[in-house]
Amino acid sequence: MSVDFALGRRWAGPTRRRAATAKRLLVRALVGDRVGLTLWLGTLAFVGLYWRVGFFITDNYTLANALLALSEGSLAIESAPYGSLDAPGTSVVDGSHYGRNYGQVAFAVPFLWALRGATTVADPGLVFATLWSLVVLAIGVQVGHLLDRPSAGATVGSAVALVAFGVNAAYATPIEARLLVPAALQISAIVATAFAVATAYRLLTRLHGRRVGVAAGALTLVATPVGFWASVPKRHVFVIALVLGVAYALCRSRDASPDGPLSATGFRALAYVLVGLLTWIHAGEAFVVFLALVIVDVPTAPANDPRTLAIVGVAFALSLAPFFATNVLVSGDPITPPRSFSGYAGGSEPPAFGGDSGAGGSSGGSGGTGGSGDPGSGDPGSGDPGGGGSGGSGSGGSGGFPVPFVGRVTSFVGTLVGTAVWLSTVLFAPLVDGYDDLVANPGKLNHIFGRGGYLSGVASRDDSQAIYLTVTESSPLAAGLVAGCAAAIAGFARSARRIGTANRPVASALQWFRDGRRAPAAATDAFALLTALFFLLTYATRLPLHAMVTVRYLLVLFPLAVYGLARTPVLRRVVAKQGRLCVWSYAGGVLVGAQLIYVVVAVRDFGPGEAFQLHALAGLAVAGAFALAALASLVDERADRATAVTGGAAAALGTDFLLLSGLFYFQYGPYALPLVDYLAGLLGGV
Amino acid sequence: MERSTALVYATVAVIVGVTVVSGPSVGLVDLTTPRADTTGLGQGNATIDRVEAPDRVRLDRGFQSESYRLEVPDARVHVAAVTGRPILNYRIEIDGMGYSRTSTFFLDGDDTGWKTLSFEGTTLGTDEVTRDSYNGTLSVVVRASDTETVVYRASVPVEVVS
Repeated sequence: MSVDFALGRRWAGPTRRRAATAKRLLVRALVGDRVGLTLWLGTLAFVGLYWRVGFFITDNYTLANALLALSEGSLAIESAPYGSLDAPGTSVVDGSHYGRNYGQVAFAVPFLWALRGATTVADPGLVFATLWSLVVLAIGVQVGHLLDRPSAGATVGSAVALVAFGVNAAYATPIEARLLVPAALQISAIVATAFAVATAYRLLTRLHGRRVGVAAGALTLVATPVGFWASVPKRHVFVIALVLGVAYALCRSRDASPDGPLSATGFRALAYVLVGLLTWIHAGEAFVVFLALVIVDVPTAPANDPRTLAIVGVAFALSLAPFFATNVLVSGDPITPPRSFSGYAGGSEPPAFGGDSGAGGSSGGSGGTGGSGDPGSGDPGSGDPGGGGSGGSGSGGSGGFPVPFVGRVTSFVGTLVGTAVWLSTVLFAPLVDGYDDLVANPGKLNHIFGRGGYLSGVASRDDSQAIYLTVTESSPLAAGLVAGCAAAIAGFARSARRIGTANRPVASALQWFRDGRRAPAAATDAFALLTALFFLLTYATRLPLHAMVTVRYLLVLFPLAVYGLARTPVLRRVVAKQGRLCVWSYAGGVLVGAQLIYVVVAVRDFGPGEAFQLHALAGLAVAGAFALAALASLVDERADRATAVTGGAAAALGTDFLLLSGLFYFQYGPYALPLVDYLAGLLGGV
Repeated sequence: MERSTALVYATVAVIVGVTVVSGPSVGLVDLTTPRADTTGLGQGNATIDRVEAPDRVRLDRGFQSESYRLEVPDARVHVAAVTGRPILNYRIEIDGMGYSRTSTFFLDGDDTGWKTLSFEGTTLGTDEVTRDSYNGTLSVVVRASDTETVVYRASVPVEVVS
């Protein structure tokens, strides 16, 4: 006994120290610090409140089938235990069925293994409540350390965790084991959301201190539809986590300290590596992020010497390996992702990015003349109802890629150049198309950003429900960007006036650019702006569209909007000086506002579409007030109190939407927490 | 070991311990019971002696929408006697639209007296609702032991209110 004890002590010492060091390093690398860890855990706990285990949207069947196949070591889907092999997003190559977003699916595999392992000893009906209570306990411990009251934190955390577990156990019902596969996808998406929140915190903390960082992280989750898509395992939250990671790495590459974990070049390489990983999830979106990164990074980098570029290039190439490997295994061609094959065009899920529309149209031209040939991508049967394919080839050609010229070049230089040009035509076509489309139909911007309402073409494919919210309707907080834009324009105008009146305007302008370009914030601002713009252009031809709920194709705009808000000096002043008012207004908006909306929806027997429109109108009203108040704050500090109140209310409406849609409008599966399942049953459905 | 650390470990031990003890490999207790007991559903019989059904049904233009909400007022039935666990259906059919909808209720042995039957609202698109009014049929049906007993059936006007 005593020998064991002594041995235990001797072994425990170094092991424990090593574990503690590893834990510290891991926390620092992944979430930054203890605050980041708390936000990370807080995201898991918050989303867990309204996490429904199951399928919200039909193409999640595809991902579930792909996850099941991949967990058994196969990329191809042999059978479809979930939905059918006709589920949107499933594609057929040489007679085999494949899923898509393999990077996302691969990320979910360890979660599936862990869940399978856990459910050998735990009941699936109780395991989520167990995990949730452990997360709550961890939050208690972390908050206790942050407030320098570790024993109070441990006590409160333990009490809440135990009570929550007890109540959940009392209400627990069985959950089918087959739901573990979608559950693994959902947990992986929630974890990705948690990383997005922690990264938003780290980015803004670096630029503007911890208070702004915490606000930015929290608002990304609770005041925007990011929280809505957190437990719906589509690609969007993964894209957001990676884009925020790129922004953070870009920012750090401009102000890396010598004692930091990575050098400036290291952080720069990290930015490209994250883009490389994004290709494995969605190649088209990764391309526009890459484009934004290159445009911003190269002209503003501290150094572009061959050694630096070689390091960045090699790291980027390595990060593309999983993407290339998956494509080779599926299609035999490293640059043709599964998504670009025509699948089944029907179903409730709209056809996805570029692969179908731009690729189909454009490659017909250059592939035919140049013989570079990628017949698979030119599949005419893509079935895109929007006619994006034909539009792609026409305007893509006029936008700087004349097809006959391409033909002449390729006939001389050969397949390699042909492929490269074809690729860039395919890749740029959606951007050019989007630009042309927005110029031709500027009113469309209103249906994306302003008032959506009942759009008959959209609603007819959403079960006659007006369940389409624009950016501002789903997150009224974004309206505060009006002030940010006004301030930025005023700042530019001042600089321009100064340059214009200088003795040597050109030299002065160059000096202005040189002064600004090294600033970490300037590079990050430009990257955020370009990424948002490119996403808008990419999806402009297809929006407004059914099955979007909150313009989910543009979900990345929401965290970027929060970034923009945090970068607006006047709003930072409001948060700094009127923080308490912001919080009270937010709390009131959630506690009272959510109940008011619930009562109206229940009493008037609204359907989901009508409830959505109630949110939309309330959101637009508060968004307008917030925008006006923020503009007023620009000219007079006395408006700050109004800005705080309207801003808090705008954020609260975002939370109200998350809670009501999660607990009331869309009850599509058993809730992960049995108590919530019981309470949601009492609320009824719409 | 500090007291707060011990407390945290103890909490983890309780939560994980209870989970494992109730889990499939140990299985001392089963904490997950289905909320609704489905045994014997649809068996038995019920005697309904009075039915109060609405005399009109509306299709209202939805709030901020061009689609319509089907608003079927509640019906009330008086259950005189119940044996077993029969099923009660409240059903609307709309002629000329090919539309029907049924809501289902379960009766238990002690469920005698007045009972309210309701519909959850439903949305119909403009492609489905093309006339100013329709003829509908409301019915209340007892389903038990593989037999259906229609206890109420009457036609009802369906008004479209724009």
